[in-house]
Amino acid sequence: MTTVDTVPIEMEDAEIAELYSERGGVLWYGDSNMNVRDVARAMNAVGARFITITTYELPANAGFRLEYHWDLMGRLLGFTFPLSGNTIDSIYDLCEAVDWIEREVHEEYRIDFTGRTYEPLLLREGGACGVNLQKEVVQ
Amino acid sequence: MSYEIPMGPYHPGLEEPYKLEMICEGETVKDAKLHIGFNFRGIEHLAETRNYIQVIALMERVCGICSFIHTLTLCQAMEKLTGFDVPPRAQYIRVIMAELERLHSHVLWAGIAAKLMGFKTMFMTCFEIREQVMDVLQAISGNRVNYSMNRVGGVNRDIEDPQAILGMVNALEKEMTRTIIPIFTTSKTATSRCAGVGVLTTEKARSLGVVGPVARASGVGQDLRKAAPYAAYGEMEFDVPVVPDGDVRARLLVRALEIMESCKILRQALTKMPAGELVYGDGKFNFLNLTSPTATARVEAPRGEVMYSVSWKESARMPSRVHVRTPTYVNMPSVRFMVQGARLADTPLIQASVDPCYSCTDR
Repeated sequence: MTTVDTVPIEMEDAEIAELYSERGGVLWYGDSNMNVRDVARAMNAVGARFITITTYELPANAGFRLEYHWDLMGRLLGFTFPLSGNTIDSIYDLCEAVDWIEREVHEEYRIDFTGRTYEPLLLREGGACGVNLQKEVVQ
Repeated sequence: MSYEIPMGPYHPGLEEPYKLEMICEGETVKDAKLHIGFNFRGIEHLAETRNYIQVIALMERVCGICSFIHTLTLCQAMEKLTGFDVPPRAQYIRVIMAELERLHSHVLWAGIAAKLMGFKTMFMTCFEIREQVMDVLQAISGNRVNYSMNRVGGVNRDIEDPQAILGMVNALEKEMTRTIIPIFTTSKTATSRCAGVGVLTTEKARSLGVVGPVARASGVGQDLRKAAPYAAYGEMEFDVPVVPDGDVRARLLVRALEIMESCKILRQALTKMPAGELVYGDGKFNFLNLTSPTATARVEAPRGEVMYSVSWKESARMPSRVHVRTPTYVNMPSVRFMVQGARLADTPLIQASVDPCYSCTDR
């Protein structure tokens, strides 16, 4: 079963429902080995609307956790991606709604979304990334 | 030959501190780039240094117009974290405050749009009506802008005399039906400045993930009050106005119709509001036995969907993360596509038609 097949359009399907768990108002997808671009393709295929990326900086320089949120007919879907470093694939070419938030996360946390170019969003030209929100800044 | 016109961050044609770099040929805009961040306040970082009472006061200041909506979304997220129930009367009061705030926001926007159309009499009328809405908000909360109404598990103040508020709402609706709605929907001044201007197609609106009146004016009909009801919205009967045209006039129409729907919701909520408590128990708690370490809540603000993700460690005094996604943040990138092919003179009105809030965007 691919990620596309498991998007919970019909949560009545027990097999699909098993793959998601509801926590804190979000239906979280349980597969920790998924790829962010596969998820974006799956969301596009079912007409889900991208909402945002929430970045969590893990303690003791252990990297980051990114949570991608999508809306599917009023249901809030969540996909978690742990990063051991500071790199993840960009989905900008698959979903243009992600543009500003990828640029913001790049500027605020120095996370690199590979496969795209950036123009400054919150910062001005030449501004230092990672200063505003990242706790452990290594310049 | 093309040339570049920078507009902002401080410019008489803009009400907010952002920058739009427009590439023009003659009087026609060919493309544009947007820059934000001129008022970045680091509120998400500050939230990590506040306890569960202080963080509400902080987040009330994310936006000067939708201050109630921000605390409502934050409190709903924290209620999911802690498993707190909200009494039915408090849920109704939340609906009443949210709809009054929508009226306030839409009438304020109508006034600014009228000014940008060169329709200054209408600007005065809108701001006079807005004052009346603010009088109602002040009568309920004691405050004109930051209302301090929400707390985790309920609300801080009661609406002791709903009939008196109902009388004020009826008077407001009558005034808006007499002036704002007919003028914005039928006047030649409004039509000639707005029809066919700043078009955002349905396809582009879906692709950019725009929300709120901007989406509904481009034929994308989602409204969280219907699609994912919160507070007491599940008990209210109302319609979600959707106009497919995607131009400035469609955005004007959607907001005008939403004003009428807000009045409908307010009448129902004030009439049906049940008796009871404003918060269960004394409303105090510590962050022990959390139902989830992270919780997310979404609310339909006047400008569209607001989302808060809150993360709290067991027994910690302060949140470990608060992320805010505001509606202007997703609506504003659409301006680039709205101004392509537009006349330079129409660009201030096109930008205003999104109802941008840079206080929220530069949170």
